[in-house]
Amino acid sequence: MTPPPTAGPLHGTRGVVLTQAWAGNWCTALLGMMGADVIQVEFRARPDSWRGDYGAPIMSGIRDSATAQHPWNCNPLYNSVSLNKRCITLDLGTSEGIDIFRRLVVFADFVAENFSPRVLGNLGIDYAALAQIKPDVIVASLSAYGHDGPWANVPGIGGTIEPTAGQSALLGYAGGVPLNSGQMYPDPVAGLYGVLGIVAALHHRERTGRGQYIDLSMQEANLSVVGDAALEFMTNGTQRPRLANRHTTFAPHGIFATLGTERWIALACETEAQWGALCETARHPEWRSDSRFATNAARKANEDALEAVIAAWAAEADRDDLAARLVTAGVLAAPVLDSLEVAQDAHLRARNVVREVDHPEVGRRLQSALPMHFSRTPATIVRHAPLQGQHTYEVLEELLGMGAAEVDELVRLGVSGIGPPDGVDVGAI
Amino acid sequence: MHAAPDGIHVLDISTTTAGAWCSRMLAALGADVVVVEPPSGHPLRTIAPFGPDGTSIPAAYWLADKRSVTIDLDSIEGQATARRLAGRVDILVSSYRPSELAARRLRYADLGATSLIMGHVTPHGMDGPLAEVPGNDLTDAARSGWASINGNIDREPLKPAAWGSSMCAGIAASSAIVAALFHRDRHPGEGQEVDVAEVDVLAGMFAPALARSTYANEVFRRRDATDTLGGPVPVKDGHFALTLSRAHFWRDAMNLLGLPDLAEDPRWGASFYRQQHRDEYMGRVTEAMAQWDKAELFEELAVRRVVAGPVLTMAELAVNEHLRSRGFWVRPEGDPTAPEMPGAPFKASATPLALRHRAPGPGEHTAEVLRDPEASV
Repeated sequence: MTPPPTAGPLHGTRGVVLTQAWAGNWCTALLGMMGADVIQVEFRARPDSWRGDYGAPIMSGIRDSATAQHPWNCNPLYNSVSLNKRCITLDLGTSEGIDIFRRLVVFADFVAENFSPRVLGNLGIDYAALAQIKPDVIVASLSAYGHDGPWANVPGIGGTIEPTAGQSALLGYAGGVPLNSGQMYPDPVAGLYGVLGIVAALHHRERTGRGQYIDLSMQEANLSVVGDAALEFMTNGTQRPRLANRHTTFAPHGIFATLGTERWIALACETEAQWGALCETARHPEWRSDSRFATNAARKANEDALEAVIAAWAAEADRDDLAARLVTAGVLAAPVLDSLEVAQDAHLRARNVVREVDHPEVGRRLQSALPMHFSRTPATIVRHAPLQGQHTYEVLEELLGMGAAEVDELVRLGVSGIGPPDGVDVGAI
Repeated sequence: MHAAPDGIHVLDISTTTAGAWCSRMLAALGADVVVVEPPSGHPLRTIAPFGPDGTSIPAAYWLADKRSVTIDLDSIEGQATARRLAGRVDILVSSYRPSELAARRLRYADLGATSLIMGHVTPHGMDGPLAEVPGNDLTDAARSGWASINGNIDREPLKPAAWGSSMCAGIAASSAIVAALFHRDRHPGEGQEVDVAEVDVLAGMFAPALARSTYANEVFRRRDATDTLGGPVPVKDGHFALTLSRAHFWRDAMNLLGLPDLAEDPRWGASFYRQQHRDEYMGRVTEAMAQWDKAELFEELAVRRVVAGPVLTMAELAVNEHLRSRGFWVRPEGDPTAPEMPGAPFKASATPLALRHRAPGPGEHTAEVLRDPEASV
């Protein structure tokens, strides 16, 4: 089968997924953007925390829009990490819901989830059970601490994995307290590794016909990305201090204030040529001959003094002018873009990594899309995050041959539907 | 790639952490990876800190499980050798900018192998206004927005810890390359170029902050306070993050901390409400937490199935009973004196990831790789 020219390398594969929040949702969204047909199954009684509480107010920037109707469809968190999926709702606490889920898995190449480890087993749909229905299925679990070991049932989220994966101890100002990132960095790390695990399993299955189970611990995945610091301890017995923006080897390597409020520039030199170019751009040739700064080793040994002279100079400069001059001179440099500037950044827009996406309730918005480009199998189709239950009728008819009346009956029974299930009082919040 | 009929062969001409981690992941999946080093040695070998034997510890992590061949890609002969090797592999990993590839005649078109998958892992990608601009982990954090939200609002922005940008680009690139292999298995002979930019991957990881900002047309900035909504706060013997997401986490944590009025008032169950009214409870919560040891608080919260994050150091993680029980720390197979290092980032039941070899010495495998021009690399 020849895929459509814009479908992506995973065209022709399908996932039936129970992912939620950030790590799981973004993992399966990336697979969807790479061409897989990803069917998100939502469990209304346990709403995705990234759709928000059912009674949460719609964000101020959206609230006055005539199309904005349901808070759970207007949450930027959910909508940002759920592109290219279809969404159905099923109450997995009912036998009808579980039955339909099992029937869908027959049509799936992969299943992914990021519940606590006990949940799939409790629902009777763990890997062993699903492999009975579909022997070559790939099941990926993204959990806080993995599915075995003493902490298997300890829950975690990005904000608690960052400290337990050794990252918070490394992030922060020199001499300051350990910090978490500005949003939960461990989640997208786990999401990326989840993509790797599932794609590698698809490749293996293509060659051998065999499925398998992927057990991803967010703690382990995140410890691996700071693994050089772990190996440093294992080799030298030392804990790397919090370095702020400094490099273990090169100087200068930092972020400095420029003219104005919240206008910062990042700059670094990894070679003597770059340092020479920086001194020239700064019109401070004497820095180069200063014995404290003459070599990288000297600059590293006198980094406080080095940063002081750079900071004093940068403080008088315009951020973007300075960044442009440094880049032209060959120095590693970049403006620190804020969140709205990133959305408008010419480079990211030119590469279609940030692009406009239409959404029925929130309108046309800039969003981050797939950060991978494929020359032969371009993956250029981008669809908005699904509304809750948007594709229930479509998917159940397409895969299971269910007529509208049958799905209507599921909705009447509360097995499917949209919004809070009966009995949930959103007004109480 | 385990159990693949013919094995997968990778040639890595990249010089960066992102490229090295990309090929390191391909090696972990079972591919044979040959890394090309210049006569002066791989640039990553200069990165501190160094071990007792004077070699780079980060390089030991990033270059493990690979074979090393010394080839001078700045020489005509070296470039010809690289082209010949590229014709014998499945995957070529590069971190060169477009002009650098052109100057070496190592562009995809120069290699003449349509079944080759060439993965470009560069700071800014192979096209777009910044394609020729050099970058690194720090500039990635700046251009992607991540620096603008990390740290405190009264201090400078912070990049992610360690090589937090490059490593993620390496993971993304390895998955894109395996997706291209999957396509080639389904459509024999169809190789392609895969272009993954570090700044793009970080911008993808920035998606929630970007969307929050564009929905509200308002910049999302660094925190103005370190409190339990944002990360670790002091406890008796260190720091502890209690970033509670769901209503029952809040209820059970507040009861444990001896704050039943906060636990039982249903208004506090909603996370948006807790965000808006944090001043009304934050002082009491942090004061209560300060009475606990981190291990004790973690254990009590774990029993109640509440998310909890003691700040752990590498010394604590090295002896952590959970990681030990999972067999996370590994030594290269057959190398019992090597220091342990982090093992597989995920467990795959049919194709377990392996760490087969310590990092090679510079050019350690040059003779065996170049000896037989007909053999696969």
